[in-house]
Amino acid sequence: MIEIEHLSKRYGDNIVVDDVSFTVGEGEIAVVVGTSGAGKSTLLRMINRLVTPNEGRVLIDGQDTATIPEDELRHRIGYVIQGYGLFPHRTVAENIATVPRLLGWDRRRIAARVEELLDLFQLDPGEFAQKFPHQLSGGQQQRVGVARALAAKPALLLMDEPFGSLDPVIRGKAQDDLLAIQRRLGTTIVLVTHDMNEAFHLGDRIAVMDGARLLQYATPADLLTHPAEPFVEQLVGTAERPFRLLSLVTVQDAMEPGHAEGEPIIVSATLRDALAQLIWHGRQDLPVADASGTLIGRISVDGILKRGRSLA
Amino acid sequence: MNTIPSRTAAPGTPTLRPTLHLDRLGSVIAGLIGLALFLSPFVTYRANRIVSGEGRLLVDALPPAGALGTIVVVLGVALCAVLARRPLIRLAAASMGLGVIFPAVGFSAGFVTPAGNTFARVSPAIGFWLLALAFALIAADALTRLRFGPWGRLVALGIAAGGLALLLLSGAWNDLSLMKEYANRAESFWREARQHLWLAFGSMAAACLVGLPLGLAGHRIPALRNAILQGLGVVQTIPSIALFGILIAPLGYLAANVPLAAALGIRGIGAAPAFIALFLYSLLPVVANTMAGLGQVPADVIEAARGMGLSRRQRLFQVELPLALPVILAGIRIVLVQNLGLATIAALIGGGGLGTFVFQGIGQSAIDLVLLGALPTVALSFAAAIILDAIIDLTQRGAHD
Ligand SMILES: Nc1ncnc2c1ncn2[C@@H]1O[C@H](COP(=O)(O)OP(=O)(O)O)[C@@H](O)[C@H]1O
Ligand SMILES: [Mg+2]
Repeated sequence: MIEIEHLSKRYGDNIVVDDVSFTVGEGEIAVVVGTSGAGKSTLLRMINRLVTPNEGRVLIDGQDTATIPEDELRHRIGYVIQGYGLFPHRTVAENIATVPRLLGWDRRRIAARVEELLDLFQLDPGEFAQKFPHQLSGGQQQRVGVARALAAKPALLLMDEPFGSLDPVIRGKAQDDLLAIQRRLGTTIVLVTHDMNEAFHLGDRIAVMDGARLLQYATPADLLTHPAEPFVEQLVGTAERPFRLLSLVTVQDAMEPGHAEGEPIIVSATLRDALAQLIWHGRQDLPVADASGTLIGRISVDGILKRGRSLA
Repeated sequence: MNTIPSRTAAPGTPTLRPTLHLDRLGSVIAGLIGLALFLSPFVTYRANRIVSGEGRLLVDALPPAGALGTIVVVLGVALCAVLARRPLIRLAAASMGLGVIFPAVGFSAGFVTPAGNTFARVSPAIGFWLLALAFALIAADALTRLRFGPWGRLVALGIAAGGLALLLLSGAWNDLSLMKEYANRAESFWREARQHLWLAFGSMAAACLVGLPLGLAGHRIPALRNAILQGLGVVQTIPSIALFGILIAPLGYLAANVPLAAALGIRGIGAAPAFIALFLYSLLPVVANTMAGLGQVPADVIEAARGMGLSRRQRLFQVELPLALPVILAGIRIVLVQNLGLATIAALIGGGGLGTFVFQGIGQSAIDLVLLGALPTVALSFAAAIILDAIIDLTQRGAHD
């Protein structure tokens, strides 16, 4: 768990982060979202003390980070930036081994860890371990950047626009992969982005920043239904609001008993996907199946619309 | 201008029969070879060391069979230069040409010198030098086209050095005036050669020792940066002779008043001011390239290194210096090539080095003595440039393939 308490940062007379507080639970993903210059990066960099706060403090599992030597703190916190900053003169394997080497792990343990991570990120060790960063595609570089940050099994991962230089097609896949890996490892993540879709896709909680201030820190659903300020409402986008809401709820919550004809929809799909299927196939309802394929009920356009209204 | 049939015919004018490929550079070089072979003297004969000499064409400079053989080979190389396309064949031809004319000029010296005459001198003349230049151009062009990697170039340099050593050690050149000058002062030649290397490499090492930290300081502290670069830039504009002059007074004072300095051999003239001048000239390239190299390390790489908890020291030695190394080495390459040449000037103020022979030779109008100092200097600079270029390529790990 990390607790951010009254963090402030000033450069001269310019207040860049103004009294920001929030808490991220164990294994949660908190997304900090806001326009460029809002102070997101500065806030993130105060967590691993690349920037020293003027006021406030950060607690990790109850321990004040100011009491831990800087480099030691950073060994324990993964850090991924937009350009990844891979070391161009080191191979993929050497890049990933950076922090374990600093920590003095023995060679066998490092080699095993590098291989494990390459597998986890779907990079064949035989093919990629000895390549240099410039020989990789953008998506592969991104995965190596994240693998390197996770090498020493940090409990906390900080990511500053980690998908910012990927093209939209690869970006969606990279986000899904990150989610899958995060669910598997249980790593706590604080991620900075200016992309609202990314925030809704990834965030367990979303922190909206503007002009150095934290405007709202809430779950995605709360943000949609109870925006704290007009700016939050505007950022969320009024036109997109119903669809965003539907994408936060699964078929499970709007399922009705009974039968329907057609291709079944899986129960874990979002209502947004279910609605898309219904429109595409021109049907009023479709059957619902569980993970094993057994039909367990039906989902209808009326049901989804009713559900969508009641949320708002 | 384009009178040479080219490989690609203009669109719309279909070629009915294959045109003969003529290499443009090769044709020029072949012309040069023809000029050198038939119109320029191959060697110069002089009755003694300092009188002016008379030229001998190649046909008169070797026994008939030898002359014929040499002419056939040289013309063969010229033909290759015009017609052959494969760089490897062109390189082999050029090497063969060099491998024939270098021993030939040595034999020619023995042939032209009357038996038992120890005063007569024979030197390579303009024809020989033009042939050597032509072959070297073909070889250099072929080497460029072959795009050898760093190891390939080092091996090529090694083969060239080995060939030269074989030529000199075999005694094939012993009748040439150049080698007679050497034989008369073999001992001082090696002493001055050592002094030359010590001046060039020693001042380079000193410049690295001082320049690297200075460059690092300039990189870290922007306020220092311009002051350092401007100061060193001023030094760079002082002509070498003037710099020697400027150094004479303070060093002379030091020698007269500080016993330790005198004991170390520091005097107003001699090796000390030469060493210091070379050192001062070396500082700017080392410092400027250190700053440039460190400055071009990508900001996000440094940010990531900091974020992962590399200490200042670890960042410097594991990330910044390795990434700056090729640029720093490029500075050291400039310094080394420059110093190997400039060290010649040291002889002017009694600093020794191969320049000693150059200035003695100028004083005595003995051109072969000048060459005894100049040729090894050129060869050293050339070898240093090739070796350092190869090292720079080898240090660019991961930068390109
Ligand atoms: N080292 C610094 N010195 C002065 N101003 C800075 C510094 N770092 C950031 N800022 C300023 O702080 C503001 C917020 O920056 P940043 O945290 O990078 O915003 P974001 O990541 O939300 O785009 C910007 O206006 C930026 O110019
Ligand atoms: Mg930012």
